[in-house]
Parts: sequence; C-alpha cells; structure tokens
Amino acid sequence: MSLSERTHDGETKDPPPSSYEFTHAAAKSAVAQICETVGYNHFKDPPLESLTGFAIQYILQLGKIATSFANLNGRSQCNVFDIVLALEDLSGNDNNAEERGCSALRSVKLREIIEFVKVSDDGEEESPFLQTLPRFPVSDKRKKMMVVPSFVEVGEIPPGKHIPLWLPAFPDPHTYKETPMWIERGLDPRGDKIEQARQRRKAERALLSLQRKLVCRGDGDRVWGDMDVGGVKGEIREAESEVPEDEKRDGVSVVEAFAPALEAARDVVFSEDDAEWKQKKQKKKPVVLSKLRTEKKFLGEPLDLTLQMKGEDRSISLREEDRDDKRRRAEFILRQCMENPVDLNQL
Amino acid sequence: MNHGQQSGEAKHEDDAALTEFLASLMDYTPTIPDDLVEHYLAKSGFQCPDVRLIRLVAVATQKFVADVASDALQHCKARPAPVVKDKKQQKDKRLVLTMEDLSKALREYGVNVKHPEYFADSPSTGMEPATRDE
Repeated sequence: MSLSERTHDGETKDPPPSSYEFTHAAAKSAVAQICETVGYNHFKDPPLESLTGFAIQYILQLGKIATSFANLNGRSQCNVFDIVLALEDLSGNDNNAEERGCSALRSVKLREIIEFVKVSDDGEEESPFLQTLPRFPVSDKRKKMMVVPSFVEVGEIPPGKHIPLWLPAFPDPHTYKETPMWIERGLDPRGDKIEQARQRRKAERALLSLQRKLVCRGDGDRVWGDMDVGGVKGEIREAESEVPEDEKRDGVSVVEAFAPALEAARDVVFSEDDAEWKQKKQKKKPVVLSKLRTEKKFLGEPLDLTLQMKGEDRSISLREEDRDDKRRRAEFILRQCMENPVDLNQL
Repeated sequence: MNHGQQSGEAKHEDDAALTEFLASLMDYTPTIPDDLVEHYLAKSGFQCPDVRLIRLVAVATQKFVADVASDALQHCKARPAPVVKDKKQQKDKRLVLTMEDLSKALREYGVNVKHPEYFADSPSTGMEPATRDE
C-alpha cells in the first residue's frame, strides 16, 4: 500500500493525516525516559529511533499473540493468562517446556516482571511519563461534521431490531420520499388574464392622470383659441380653471383625464346656449372665445358639460352618472343646435 | 493424589500471588502512558477493558527496553575510556546511546541492526578490477 494515494481522476493526493507521527513521537519520548532511568544522559537520534521502533513492535507483537491465544480458546477478550503465554512465546526461552504448569506464576518471564516492579517500587525509581497525552484517538471536529452521526448520537431508534445503535443513522424521509410542501392553488388562467388586464387598465389610468396633472401645472396662462380641436383643449382648460382651487389640488380632474381622448377624436359643436351655461355658473369665468362651427358636425361625445355647471360637487364616484346626464343634455342641445341655425338663418 | 493436592495448593498460592501482583500494579505507574499502550494494542486486535492488563503490558515493554538499554550501557562502559589530558577531567565519560552499543545489545535478542560502515554507489565499488569485469 503506497503512501501517496491516487484519486479517481488520477491526481496524487497527500495521505490523510494518520496518528502514526504523533504516537511515534510520544513513544520516543517514553523510551528516552526509560533510558534515562537506566543511566544514559545523552542520546543519538538513530539508535533512539531504532529502540523506539523495537518497543512499539514489542507491544504490537504482545497484543497479537495474546489475541491469538484468546481466540484459540474461543474467547474474544484477552485475560492475564493470554498475556503471560504471549510473554513466554516472545522470550524464546526453552525453559518450562516440560515443567509448565497450569499456573501462570510458574512463568519465568512473569516472575522477572514482578521482580522488576518490586525493584522499581522499592527503589522509588518509578518515573511516570512526564508529559500529558490527549485521549486517543483525537477526533477531528472538521471531519466529524462530514461524518454521518450514528443512531445513538442522533437519538433515534433504528427501525428494526437487527440494526445496531452504533451504525450511522438513516437519512430523513423527506430526502427520498416526495412529500407535498405547497398547498396547490387551483389554476385559473382566464381569471388570471382578466385580473392582469384590469390591473393594466388601472395603471394606464393612473399614468394618464399624472400626465394631465403635469401638463396642467405646466401651463401658466391659458390661451384660448378657436373652438376647433385645439379649442376643445381650451375648453377643457377653461373648465379646469373654473374648478375651485382646493379641488383642483386635491385630485385628478376628470376633465384632464379624458381630455386627450376627446381631443384626438372630434370637434364639439356648441350652440348659443353657451351663454346660458355661463349664467348658471356661480363663479366668474374668463371669457370664452368660442366660435361656432356649424358646418362641422358633432361627431362624438361632448365634453363634460355638466361639470361646468356642477362646479363644486364633483366627485369621482359620481363620474358615471354625470356622464349619462351629460350625454342626455348634449343630445338635447344638439337637437336645439340643429333647429337653431335654421332659426338664425331665418333671422 | 498427593501430587494433585500439592499442585492444588501451589495453584492457590500462585493465584493469590498473581492477584496481589496485579493489585500492586495499580500503585506503580509505568513510564509508558496507558493511552499509548492501549492504542498500539488496539491496533493489533487486543481487546480488554481491564486497566491492569494494559499496565502489565506497559510494564513488560518497559522491562524489555530497560534490559536492552542497560546492556548497551554495559557495552558503552566497557569501552576503554579516552586518554585523559586534563587533570580535572574525570574518568566518567559522557554516556551516549550510540548505534554500535545498541546493535551489540540487540544481537543477544536475535535482532540484527548492524549499521553499514559506509555507503557505496554501486555493489561493485571497491572490488578488484578483474572481478568487476565479470
């Protein structure tokens, strides 16, 4: 097994940090301490490294042989007799070949160890490891975040008695099952379109009124021209000017809102009844220079004539009713107009 | 039967001594820390929850290292001391663990750690020209 592993895409990756270096360094310092108790003051690095390697190998071999002895006897956990047998095995002594009894204490090695301990204890040569070691193995918290927690850590009971608790937990059901998350609203494309159109109309209306407002504000003096298409605009402005100041400021004047539509479409024919209207007005108006163009026919809807009469009570909510009234009156006036020229001519 | 009784008694004694020894192990702290020994034992498959057994292994290892080191020390001391030039300089020389002493000590344990005296470029370096041609 090579130290440098290759990943799937063929790149060489550094080997994952193993605990080898740390344990080796710890073992080296322990071995150096033992040599110090023996009597050494100075060490050269190569022999110290070799001795450390031997010590580690000794421990590993002891463990391996003890485990095999335990397994031979049908046990998975070792006990003291397994260790004693392993010690005997490693020592390579030929003694006790025939005299070996059941008791472990008959083992020479063990006796030697006991002697060693006694000597150390009596002579107070006990030298525990001088540095504190962290608990093995040191868990890398960064890695632990990526590792799936076990059932015990998550606190779940595994579904099924055959699954032990120390295995990684199952993923949450929402990761592999389709669970409904949103309350589904009924699709209504037609309704949605109607709603959309309505909102668009609203927006257009608002934009128009804003435009009119700006235009009106921009106009300082009003020049009243002929009552043609431009005159219509003039009429509108006049109407606008009649409006009491506070009302004008408040909201959008309906006249302004509908002015462009009317302007673009048609001419308005006014009769001499203009004068009557003026009389009806409560407030003073600037003089309206309006020429009658009898040749031109009345083509469309007139202005909001009633607005001129009801100067004060204008409210947007009554707009529809006003329009109907206006239409009726306009038609009445038209009829009169048609009749009047005849009369005028006669005059 | 007598033999069996005797062995039985001896067994009891041995067992008592063993338990006593294991108890005494808890008082004695080996130089090699328990965690380190446990780590290496776990690597080789040794599984035991008892701390005394781990201490036993630690003590056994300590004894082994101490034996090797003491043998090397013997070799070191046995070497003739350097010529004393200064009157103040004592006979005690610096006790340094060297590869030579260690290799001599380990040979008795059946381990060959002989350090090469020199490093050569190729296997045939230093040989006679006649043999080199072959």
